[in-house]
Amino acid sequence: MFKKALLLGIVSGLLAGVAGVVYAKVYYSANEADFSKVAGTVRIVAASLFGGVLAAIGYAVLDKLLKAKGEIVFNLVFTIISFASLLLPIGHRFSPPIDTPELFPGMVIPMHFFPALGWYTLKPLFLKSAKTPS
Amino acid sequence: MKFIAMVLLAGSAYAFFAQNWQIAEGYNIGFSSDDAAGVFKGFKGTIAFDEQNPAASKFEVTIDAATINTGNGLQNKHAKSDEWFDVAKYPQISFKSKSITKAGSGYQVTGDLNLHVVTKSISFPFTFAKTPTGGLFKGAFTVNRNDYKLGKPGGDVGESIKVDLSVPVTK
Repeated sequence: MFKKALLLGIVSGLLAGVAGVVYAKVYYSANEADFSKVAGTVRIVAASLFGGVLAAIGYAVLDKLLKAKGEIVFNLVFTIISFASLLLPIGHRFSPPIDTPELFPGMVIPMHFFPALGWYTLKPLFLKSAKTPS
Repeated sequence: MKFIAMVLLAGSAYAFFAQNWQIAEGYNIGFSSDDAAGVFKGFKGTIAFDEQNPAASKFEVTIDAATINTGNGLQNKHAKSDEWFDVAKYPQISFKSKSITKAGSGYQVTGDLNLHVVTKSISFPFTFAKTPTGGLFKGAFTVNRNDYKLGKPGGDVGESIKVDLSVPVTK
């Protein structure tokens, strides 16, 4: 179970990273706002991969502890953590200040949901759905 | 005789008028306190300064208050609001020198700082160094934001705000 979850975490994390990099490029060209020093290609991919691996660990732990209810709790926690993590880009302060810092959250916030989206999208290919608890 | 009089007149005129300097790109008007820090852009004005004759020197500069940048979009918006700089009503921060004197290895300037709703006399030291392209002014001073009715007393943002200036100039 853990190996499959880990593989799903890595693949969905990489997919989220690629989506993040593509989104960043589109965002740069659309808004002429360059945040590559803070959120460059390597950082975006690494952060997405980290999110995917963390999700895999969380999934495995909850599945073991809560059995059939594990997946339900995991989905809820993953979504809540993704939402809560939005506070990081919103509160981020550039030092020294850069031009148009107000555009930074707009670029990073969608990326915070990419690992979850990747996980939910690819999960049927890697893990069987949990049986609904009676 | 006429020639000598003209030379003397020119010399005395030189003693009364200081060199005019143009503010160059790359200036830094920074501020920092306990919970907020940032920079202002939109710095302009006239700088007349003569190292040998600081008494004849004069600074009249303004900052576009709306150019405040704390490095965070939400904080910038908050800083421009009526609780802080109220840039819609008070778009400019200005400083007009009243006297400049030699002080040790640098200089001391006294003048009126108009910030938000208050104009208050301040005095601070600064240095001037010649550079290949002109010169560089550097100075720093501290203001109490309550003196200028900036924000509410107390709160997270410190009441004492340090302002650091670094202004390259060209002839």
